[in-house]
Amino acid sequence: MTDPGPPIMQLVGVGKTYQTRDGKGVVALTPSTLDIQAGEFLSIVGPSGCGKTTLLNMMAGLIAPSSGSIQIAQSAGTAPRIGLVFQRPVLLPWRRVIDNVLLPVEVMGLAPPEAYRARALELLAMVGLEGFANAYPSELSGGMQQRVSIARSLVYDSAVLLMDEPFAALDAMTREELNLELLRIWKMTGRTIVFVTHNIPEAVLLSDRIVVMTPRPGQVREIVPVPLPRPRALSLMGDPDFGAIADRIRGMLRPAGAALAA
Amino acid sequence: MMGERTVSALYAGGTLVFVLLTWQFAVTVLNVPAYFIPAPTNVVTALIRGRDLYAAHFMVTLWSTLVAFGVAFLLALLLGALVSEVRFLERTLYPMLVALQSMPRIALAPIIIVWFGFGPTSKIVLGILSAFFPIFLNTVHGLKVVDSDQIALMRSFRATRSQIFWKIKLPNALPFLLAGANIGIIFAILAVIVGEFLGANKGMGYLIVNQSSQMDTPGVFANIVLLSATGLVFHYGLQALRNRLLFWASGSEAAGTSA
Ligand SMILES: Nc1ncnc2c1ncn2[C@@H]1O[C@H](COP(=O)(O)OP(=O)(O)OP(=O)(O)O)[C@@H](O)[C@H]1O
Ligand SMILES: [Mg+2]
Repeated sequence: MTDPGPPIMQLVGVGKTYQTRDGKGVVALTPSTLDIQAGEFLSIVGPSGCGKTTLLNMMAGLIAPSSGSIQIAQSAGTAPRIGLVFQRPVLLPWRRVIDNVLLPVEVMGLAPPEAYRARALELLAMVGLEGFANAYPSELSGGMQQRVSIARSLVYDSAVLLMDEPFAALDAMTREELNLELLRIWKMTGRTIVFVTHNIPEAVLLSDRIVVMTPRPGQVREIVPVPLPRPRALSLMGDPDFGAIADRIRGMLRPAGAALAA
Repeated sequence: MMGERTVSALYAGGTLVFVLLTWQFAVTVLNVPAYFIPAPTNVVTALIRGRDLYAAHFMVTLWSTLVAFGVAFLLALLLGALVSEVRFLERTLYPMLVALQSMPRIALAPIIIVWFGFGPTSKIVLGILSAFFPIFLNTVHGLKVVDSDQIALMRSFRATRSQIFWKIKLPNALPFLLAGANIGIIFAILAVIVGEFLGANKGMGYLIVNQSSQMDTPGVFANIVLLSATGLVFHYGLQALRNRLLFWASGSEAAGTSA
């Protein structure tokens, strides 16, 4: 991590204004510039409505920016594929859990199918859904559905994984377990993760850097590095350095800060 | 304990028995002639006595209905898919078809017989015209109400348009497609019967006209009983298919269209 190398994704002056019915338009994101390093774990925190989902959707290529440009580095072999975990589960209700997890494999035509099937079952076990492979989404709770969508995003290898508040619907225990699991997968696969969250300790525990955004219309306010040693365990949360970083971010997000920015 | 469904069936069956008994009683007591309103027993007798005749004509009507419905269904599915996928057709063909939908198709029957003659073709064409629109409009609607997040998900996998169509749009449209089919099959029977009224020498519509002219009212009623039973079989058949295929859709009954 000493030499960051060239960024895997470069956002230059990326902004978004949504067209609205009254024709005025809503500024969802004020032009922002951001480099994402290959292999880093980057979190984005900011108040609700500041444009985090919008930013992620633009990175995923799902919506076009109104201004600026997004450059994605072409890796030597395969083109970098982007994985995306939506803020809500977005499962296909007519498919069993296992077939939902295998949807990307099917769409991308990845082979061999049996290997991916085994992997899907492994991932389901990892997110605590062993034995639910043949259930239908309607038979699962909201948090369980979200875990299916996490398994689905991990079943194929993407150079960059974009996660939009993936753990927001989970209980604290499951959330901590999945945090550690995500760190393990991140280390094992060496992929880049961009992770949106409202939970400051979670962001500090996971990230190399944390992007703090201003209230809506959002903008990158500051990028906070997290120079805590890895591998990280939950016990790190009691560490004074950990607390100091968390407090600093909390200070930036406090309503007083919002009043200052306004 | 009896299940909810058994209880419902008992209520419906009980009501039917009550209506039939009242009917039988009223007709007997008031001495209504059979050619005016036949008693239920007269209808049953007619049905049993003429069973070979009814079977033969019934098969003709059933066959024409199924052919008309099948063609209408495939045509509606194909055009529905094209209209919802191809922007140009959505702007040209779709408004055209929506406008045609408000035309009373049954009123075309005489002219269709002029065009296609007295053979089975006329009534099948009439059946197709009638069954097509409810299926088509429901299909187009169903293909459009798709969840935009599901599309975004597929696009994040770099899915092709055809993958999005087959894996997302079509399954999403299925409840609407089946609701359209439910209306379409009833329209098809109706149109085939009308076609047989006007120009046929076979089928239940022909039989009804023939029996009416001979004052064979019990015979006409026997036809109607058979046709109603067929309609019910289609309805419940599609319902069963719906329950099998659409266990995942939470009771989203699609809107129908006018005749
Ligand atoms: N499709 C859209 N059309 C119009 N406005 C939109 C649209 N999507 C989002 N917005 C607006 O853009 C702003 C940013 O929305 P976005 O969903 O990116 O926020 P967010 O930071 O993800 O919020 P949250 O933390 O609540 O998920 C909001 O003010 C919202 O009203
Ligand atoms: Mg969001």
